[in-house]
Amino acid sequence: MTIRVLDPRVDPELEPLSLAPAAVLSGATIGLLDNAKIGTASFYNHLEDLLRKHGVREFIRRRKPDTSRPVPPEMLAELAVADAIVSGIGD
Amino acid sequence: MDFASAAYDVDDAFAANELFLDNGWTDGLPIVPPTATLVRAFLDAARLTPGDVVGVEPVRRRRIAAEKVAIAAVMAGCRPEYMPVVLAVVRALCDTGYGLHGVSASTGGSAPFIVVNGPIRNAIGMNATHNALANASRANATIGRTTRLIILNVLHGVPGGLDRSTLGHPGKFTYCVAEDEDGSPWLPLSVERGVPAGDSAVTILAALGPHQVLNEWTRDPREILDTYVGAIRGNMLTYSIWAGHYAMVIGRQNREVFAAAGWSKKDIREYVHERAWVKRSDWAAVGKAAVVGKDPDRVHTALRTPDDLLVVSAGGPAGGFGAIIPPWLGAKSLAVTMRIEEKP
Repeated sequence: MTIRVLDPRVDPELEPLSLAPAAVLSGATIGLLDNAKIGTASFYNHLEDLLRKHGVREFIRRRKPDTSRPVPPEMLAELAVADAIVSGIGD
Repeated sequence: MDFASAAYDVDDAFAANELFLDNGWTDGLPIVPPTATLVRAFLDAARLTPGDVVGVEPVRRRRIAAEKVAIAAVMAGCRPEYMPVVLAVVRALCDTGYGLHGVSASTGGSAPFIVVNGPIRNAIGMNATHNALANASRANATIGRTTRLIILNVLHGVPGGLDRSTLGHPGKFTYCVAEDEDGSPWLPLSVERGVPAGDSAVTILAALGPHQVLNEWTRDPREILDTYVGAIRGNMLTYSIWAGHYAMVIGRQNREVFAAAGWSKKDIREYVHERAWVKRSDWAAVGKAAVVGKDPDRVHTALRTPDDLLVVSAGGPAGGFGAIIPPWLGAKSLAVTMRIEEKP
């Protein structure tokens, strides 16, 4: 006789996402969202140098007040004017 | 009663365990196979239907359905009558102040430390005395384990997946205690935190493992507390300096010293708040001179206010033992107290 057991997991309820068109770097404004981890600022300094060489004109850098909580809406609104945003996760 | 979960037919309980263990659906220990009959009995005990949403994890907005909570409780080895406690823990985990996503994903491995107060403790046979923080009661063990299985399977807190803990600690298997209200002269923790006396409640704290202390060589409550404060200072210097909730578990022999001197939990909280602090310059003595910074005389207190100390009575009758249970990371995660809804 077999027994029937139930799956303990939850399927991720992901919203359908599609890729945004690739940003054109020349003359662009790029948002850099810092997740407030120890290495992020120096990584973004390096990234800024790199992206400037590719023609990026302006950067909007913001640092999350708390690593493990969502970005505050007003900070997201400030970043939203950028052509593209780089968001840091993890260490 | 229709379940949303996928179902699998297996030969027997052993095969069910192989399926769950092979797929990483457990904490590495065997489980009670969650059959529809058992899951239904657990939901009936809680008067819930499978689709009822018990809580929503605030960051990734994962809805935690009653069906999945009941499956985890069956797997962990609970009895149906533990469900009200389990449900209160899930609701507490989903409180924004607890910050479940951060504490579950962090490299700084923590576990929800669960304290149960009120009449349900004795009704379901929870332990608050001998071996209070470890193995002694099915209810303590399985309620704590259910929490881990929910984080694992419902929130995908899989080690190396969402769970990035560097070390973790054994409390991640289970970390649940009842307060020894019958052996304590003090107000229960839940009552101190605003739950009406006579109601049952859980309090959860994202916590490190317990640091055991020992002082049985004085009758002076201040000296007893200075020992606990020493452990807090050690944690501030060697782990994290940031102020937040600390739990302090006081065994019976130490409690008798406070009772004889007429000290309440409030007196204890105020004394510890005043004494538990370090200066940034103290870091230099433990190899952390690099982070002392420009203000070496700056004082950091362990507690933001006396209310940050969760004083819990628990432990066997003999031995001058207690424990400090430090927070995951200062006040980034807050202790949450949730009333347990029992059947009318």
